[in-house]
Amino acid sequence: MPEKAHYGLLKGKKGIVFGPLDESSIGWQIALHAYREGAEIALSNVATAIRFGNLQELSELCGNAPILVCDASRNEDVDNTFRELKEKMGSVDFIVHSIGMSQNIRKQVPYEELNYEWFMRTLDVSGISFHRLVAYALKNEAINDGGSIIALSYIASQRNYWTYSDMGDAKSLLESIARSFGPRLAKRSIRINTISQSPTYTKAGSGIPGFEKMYDYGELMSPLGNASAEECAEYTMTILSDLTRKVTMQNLFHDGGYSSMGATIPMIKLAYEVLHDKELADRVGLEDRQ
Amino acid sequence: MSAAEITDKVYDIIVSKMGVNKDQIKPESKFADDLGADSLDTVELIMELENEFGVQIPDEDAEKIGTVQQAVDYIVNKK
Repeated sequence: MPEKAHYGLLKGKKGIVFGPLDESSIGWQIALHAYREGAEIALSNVATAIRFGNLQELSELCGNAPILVCDASRNEDVDNTFRELKEKMGSVDFIVHSIGMSQNIRKQVPYEELNYEWFMRTLDVSGISFHRLVAYALKNEAINDGGSIIALSYIASQRNYWTYSDMGDAKSLLESIARSFGPRLAKRSIRINTISQSPTYTKAGSGIPGFEKMYDYGELMSPLGNASAEECAEYTMTILSDLTRKVTMQNLFHDGGYSSMGATIPMIKLAYEVLHDKELADRVGLEDRQ
Repeated sequence: MSAAEITDKVYDIIVSKMGVNKDQIKPESKFADDLGADSLDTVELIMELENEFGVQIPDEDAEKIGTVQQAVDYIVNKK
C-alpha cells in the first residue's frame, strides 16, 4: 500500500488517547494518525487492557509514547494520570475518549433484566468517565486554551438498536456531557464534541450479539458504506486540528450517510423479496421482532 | 489465611466478576465452559486474584488455570 499523505495537521500539538487496546481499536488508529500528523502522544488504558492488549507496540509506533495506567472510573486514577501527563509532557491540546464497556452486553443479559450493578458500571465506565477526564484535566491545568476534546459515540444513543442494550443509554449520557461542558469550556476556546461512528469491527464491537448482521445492515443503509476505524481516525484529525475551531457541542456523524437515510434501494429490494417469498420469509423468521 | 478462607474469597470474586450465583460454582467448574467466561473475564479474574491475594500470576501460569479448584490451589501454594 502506498504511504498515505500526511498534512502536518497536528504539528506542535500534544494529546492523550484513552482506550486503545489493539490494532482494531478506533483509539489505536486515532493515536497512530495523530502521531503521523505531527502530534506528541500519550496513551492510556486500564491495567487489564494493557495486559490483554498490545499497547507496547502502539507506543513504539508513536515514537515511544508514554503509557499511563488509568481506570477512568476512578477519580484518583484520572487525577494522577493528568498530573503524571503534565509532568511528562506538559499540558496537552487534545484529549480522546475511546472507552466503552458493558458487562450486561458481554453476558447477554436481556434489557428487561439488566444487572443494575453492571448497568451502573456501564454508565460510569462508558459515560461518566468522559466527565471525569475533562474535570481532572481542568483541575490539573493539563489542557491548553484552544484545545479539542472528543469522545467516540454510536447512533444507538438516539435511536433504538435492540442488541446495543445499556450501551445506548451510556452513549446518550456521553453525548449529553459534551453539550453540558460546551459553554463552560468555550470561555477558553476549548471545544468538545462526540463522533458518532459506523459499526466497527473492534474488540468491543465484536462482543455485541449479532454484530456481523448489524454491520451488514449498516453497509446496505449507508450510501457511502460503513466507515472503517482508519477512516474515523482520519476524520478525527480534522476535529483535533485548528481547522475546526468553531465546531463544538456537536454529535458529528461519521457513518457514510447512514443517519440521514430512510430507505436505500438495496434495502427496499431485499425487503420486497423477503416479503413476497413465503419460504424465504419463514427462513428469516419475520415473526421474530427482535 | 486458611485454604477454606481462600476458597471463599475466590468464590466471591467469581460471583462479582461473572455474575453467577455462588451455588453454581463447583471446584471442578471450568471458567470458560461452565461459568461462561470470555477472554477478558479470564484476564480480569487473574488480575483480581493478584490484587486480592497479593501474588503475581505470570501469563504462562495463568494459562494453566482452567478450573476453580486450580485457581484456589495456585493461591494456596503461593501463600
